[in-house]
Amino acid sequence: MTTEELKALTVQKSVDARGTACPGPLLAAKKAIGEIGSGDIMEILSADEGTKKDIPKWANKKGHEYMGTVEEAGYFKIYMKKA
Amino acid sequence: MEENKKMCMALHSGSLDRLTGAGVVISGAAADDMDVDVYVLLQAARAFKKEIADDYEKLPMTENEDIKEEFIASLKKLNVPTWIEFFEMAKELTNVKIHVCSLAGKMWGGEKVEDFVDLVDDICGIGEYIEAAQEADVHLFI
Repeated sequence: MTTEELKALTVQKSVDARGTACPGPLLAAKKAIGEIGSGDIMEILSADEGTKKDIPKWANKKGHEYMGTVEEAGYFKIYMKKA
Repeated sequence: MEENKKMCMALHSGSLDRLTGAGVVISGAAADDMDVDVYVLLQAARAFKKEIADDYEKLPMTENEDIKEEFIASLKKLNVPTWIEFFEMAKELTNVKIHVCSLAGKMWGGEKVEDFVDLVDDICGIGEYIEAAQEADVHLFI
């Protein structure tokens, strides 16, 4: 998906994990995924470089769909769809 | 459903930095839906005693006591949970069991599960640890 497409997505859940370092964002994502339904889209806001690779890998491994990452000023947004 | 992968950790160290590292590893395993069995041995058992855990900043560092202040300050600045909080989070996420070795417990005056922080599930013998180590997909000694 392009950055524009990602930005235009309607998300069912937004997790702001910018205040934490690794493994905080991953743990926050793991917790939040249990709170949404199948097919729902979740965005995770993080400023932790390790998370940028961790969450997409984790999402795919768990059978969810990693949709893409959008760079913002000083942080990024990771988009995923729950299986 | 596929069975969860298993992690077995022999947690021997009672130092602040290693306990924090163990907490990060366990919570990572929890995020990956692993079943985790932690066996708390020797020095680590001391850190799990209620009165010690309440004052975790007094725990020693593994190698260099001179960097303790910097270590603690950095953890706080980066908003990193305490080692106990990591263990608590991991337990919330997945099947994490904390077993205290009976000998280790006795060494620090803890014979019963109530002598330790609430995280502790039971007191065990070495046989249980060996069995878990044999069955584990990942085995760590920290």
